[in-house]
Amino acid sequence: MKLVNWTKVISISMALLLLLSGCANSASTKNSSAETNKEADAQPKQGGELTYALATSPDSLDPHRSGLAVAGRVFRTIFDNLVIQAEDGSIQPWLATEWTVSEDGKSYIFQLRADVKFHDGTPFNAEAVKFSFDRIIDPKTKSGNALSLLRPYVSSEVLEEYTIKINLATPSTAFLSNLSQNQLGIVSPTAVEKYGDQFGKNPVGTGPFKFVNWTENADIQVEKNSDYNWGPSNVENKGKPYLDKISFKIVPEEATRIGSVQSGQVLAAETVPPQNIASLKNDPKTQLLTVNTIGLPYTLFFNQRKEPWNNVKARQAVQLAIDVDSIVKTLYLGTYERSWSPLTPGIVGYDKSLEGSVKVDIDKANKILDELGYEKGSDGIRVKDGKQLTLNYVDGSPNREKRNDIAVIVQQQLKRIGIKVEINITKDVASVIYTNADYDLYGNSQVNSDPNALRAIYHTRTPEEEAVFKGLPGGSDTELDQLLEQGTSELDQAKREEIYKKAQQKIIKDAWIIPIYVFPYTVAASKTVNGITFDALGYPLFNDVSIE
Amino acid sequence: MKEVVNTKTVLHVPKWKFTKQKTNFSVENLFILGAGMVVIFIILCALFPKWIAPYSPTFMDTSLILSPPNSAHWFGTDYFGRDVLSLVIYGSSDSLIIGIASVLIGGLIGGIIGSVSGYFGGIIDVVVMRLIEILMTIPGILLALAIAAALGPGLMNIVLAVAVSSIPGYARVMRGQLMSIKKRKYVEASRSIGTPEWRIFLWHLLPNSWSPLLVMATIGLGTSILIGSGLSFLGLGIIKEIPDWGALLSQGRGYLTVGWWISTFPGLAITLFVLSVNIIGDKLRDTFDPKTSRTR
Repeated sequence: MKLVNWTKVISISMALLLLLSGCANSASTKNSSAETNKEADAQPKQGGELTYALATSPDSLDPHRSGLAVAGRVFRTIFDNLVIQAEDGSIQPWLATEWTVSEDGKSYIFQLRADVKFHDGTPFNAEAVKFSFDRIIDPKTKSGNALSLLRPYVSSEVLEEYTIKINLATPSTAFLSNLSQNQLGIVSPTAVEKYGDQFGKNPVGTGPFKFVNWTENADIQVEKNSDYNWGPSNVENKGKPYLDKISFKIVPEEATRIGSVQSGQVLAAETVPPQNIASLKNDPKTQLLTVNTIGLPYTLFFNQRKEPWNNVKARQAVQLAIDVDSIVKTLYLGTYERSWSPLTPGIVGYDKSLEGSVKVDIDKANKILDELGYEKGSDGIRVKDGKQLTLNYVDGSPNREKRNDIAVIVQQQLKRIGIKVEINITKDVASVIYTNADYDLYGNSQVNSDPNALRAIYHTRTPEEEAVFKGLPGGSDTELDQLLEQGTSELDQAKREEIYKKAQQKIIKDAWIIPIYVFPYTVAASKTVNGITFDALGYPLFNDVSIE
Repeated sequence: MKEVVNTKTVLHVPKWKFTKQKTNFSVENLFILGAGMVVIFIILCALFPKWIAPYSPTFMDTSLILSPPNSAHWFGTDYFGRDVLSLVIYGSSDSLIIGIASVLIGGLIGGIIGSVSGYFGGIIDVVVMRLIEILMTIPGILLALAIAAALGPGLMNIVLAVAVSSIPGYARVMRGQLMSIKKRKYVEASRSIGTPEWRIFLWHLLPNSWSPLLVMATIGLGTSILIGSGLSFLGLGIIKEIPDWGALLSQGRGYLTVGWWISTFPGLAITLFVLSVNIIGDKLRDTFDPKTSRTR
C-alpha cells in the first residue's frame, strides 16, 4: 500500500473539513471565554454580564445617524428619550415629566426632570434637548431616519433650565410617539462637540448603560450606569440596572448564533431562524421570546426610476405573479406572518381589508405583459425591441432573515411569466441602493410607531432630499402625496385612520410594492436569564434583566 | 494544498512497478478504475445533466420541503423543495468549468512565464522568479480570495482568481524543466549544427518539458475545484439559478441541524471528485516521471 495516496486523502479531507467549518468557527471562538467565571458566581439578582448575540453589526451608535434596527437595539441601552410609548399606545413620561400642547397643535412645552445627568457628567437640561434636536435638522449631521421622525420640527426655545418649548411647522399627530423612538434619543452636547464625526463610535447619553468599547465586527460592550434613577414606566426597575455589563456579540451566522445559546457560550441571541424554533421550544435549558415588530413590514420596492417599472401595468404583472403565501410558508415554516399592506398590523390605521386582496393570477399577468408588447422568446423570456425583460433584484449580505432566499424563489416565480430575474447580492447596499439607485427591486423594512412613517418612504422627494440619498420607490403621485400630508397633521383619530387606509390601498392598487412578511423579533435565551422585556416597537429592554 | 502538490513532484517515493505485479487486479488498480469511473460519470453529469437528473434543478416543490433522503428523492430535498440530487448533478458543470478553465489558464500563463524565465536565464530569470516567489508566499486560497474580492462577483472572475493563484506553481516547474533540458546533449548537438534558437525552443525544449506540467495540471484540477468551491461557498455576488457545489454547500449550512443532507451530498461530490482526480494524477505522474522510466 502506498503512503502517498493516504496523505493525499487525509489532506483533502482536512481541507474540506476546514472549508466546511471555516465560516462557522470564526464567530464562536470569540464567545467562549466571556461567560465561564460569571455563571459560577450564581448571585441571585445583582451583577453579572449578559452576552447577547446580534445577527448583524450596527453601522453607528449615533442615534441621530443610524437607521438600522440592530443599532437601535444597542443604543437603546445608552440613550433615553423625552417620552415613552406604553404597550397600549399611550405616551408616558420619561425624561420629560409633563407636557402641554398648544391649541393649534404647533407648539409643545415639556417640563424636564432635574435629577438627570449624562454619562460624562454633563447635566441634562433644556439646552441639551435643544442641542439634540437642532443637531438632527442640521444638514451637516446627515440624519436620515431621525430627521423624518422629528419632522415637522422647526426650532426649540429654552424657557427655563428645565422647561423647553418645541415649535413645529404644521401640527403633527405622530410627533409625541415619534419622540419616544430611540432615534430621537437625547445625546450629550459635550460629547458631540468633543468627538464630532466620531460620536457614533463614542456614544454618550443618559441611559441605564454606559458605552465601554466597540470592536468592529466582534462585540460592543456597555456597563451599568450606577447613577441611573430615571427608568421609564414600561420597566419595573426604575433605578440602576441589575446587570454589571452587557456584551453585544456580532454573530451573523445563524446556526452558530443559536448554537452558542444552546451550548452556553452566550446567554441570549436574537433572530432565531424558523427551522430552529421547533427544536428550541423543546430545549429545557432555553427560552424563546417573540414579539411582532410594528412599522413597515419587509417589503419589495420597485425602483420607479427604471423602465419598465415606472409603468403601473408592468408592476402589476409582477404583483400578480409573485406567490407571497408560498414564499412565506416555505421559508419561514409558519413562524412569520404574511403581510398585505405597506404597514404592519398593530399600527394605527392599519387596513385589514387589504388582507387577501392580492391573488396570484399567472394568466392575467401574462396578458398584461402581452399588452405591453413583450413577446416570449424561444427561451421563454419576454423580449421587446430586441431587449430582454429583466429585473435586477438587489439584496444585501449576509442573508438576513432569509431575504436572499426570497430572491431565489421570486426568480423562479417570475420565470413563469417570462421575466428574467438577475439576483445581485452586495455588501454595499448604501451605495448600490441609496447612492446609485442601481436596482429594479429591493426589499427593506422599518420599525416605526406611527403610520406617518409612510411619508418618508412614499411621498415625492425633493431634488435636495434626493441629493442626500435616493429614496426607495423613486415614484411620485400627487394623490398619495396629499393623503400623506393630511395624515401628518390630522388631529381627529378616526379621520386620520381613514386617510391612512386610503393611502395603503392606493399603494397596493398601483403596485408600488410587494409586501412580504411581518418580522417577529425572536430572542433565544438561557433559562438563567430573567426579565428581558420589549418596548412598544419590539426593541429589547435590559433594565429588569438579571442572571440567576 | 499547494505544499502538498509541490512536495509530490520532488519527493522520491517508492514507485509502483508494472513488472512486479502478478495480476492487474491490485488494490491500486481498483482505485484507479473507480476514480476513472467517478470522473467520467461526473463529466457526463456536467455535459448531459438533463438526461441524468431525475428532476429540474429549479423546480420547487413547496409541499415537500426539507424531506430526508427517500426513494423519490435519493438525496432529499432542500428548504425550497428542490431535489438535492438534481442540484448536485446540474451543479457539476459550473464546478468543472471553474476547475478546468482555471487550470488551463493558470497552466498556460504559468508555463509561458516559466519557460521564458528558464530559457533566457540571467536577469530576466532573477526578476521573474522573485516576482513568482512573492506570489508563492501568499497561500493559494488567500490569494484567490483577495483576487475574487477585488474583481467582484461572477463565474469568470472566480476562474481568473483560481488561475492566478495557481500560476506560481506551474511557472516554477516549467522553469526547472527548461533549465535542465536546455543543457542536454541533444540540444547542444542541435545548436552546434546551426539550428535557429526559435526552432530549438519550439521543437526540442517545449515538447520535452511539458509532461510534468500535464501531471501537475491533473492534480491541480482537484485543487482548483476545491478553491473554486471555497470561493463560491464564501461567495458574494450573483446568485445563479443553478448553484455550483460550493454554493450548495453554503446554502445548506444553516440547516445542518435539521437537514444534514442539503450540504452533505454536495460536499461528498466535491470530495469524491477531487479524490478521484488526485488518484488519476498520481498514476499519470508515475507514468510520466522521468525518474520512474530510468529505474525501469
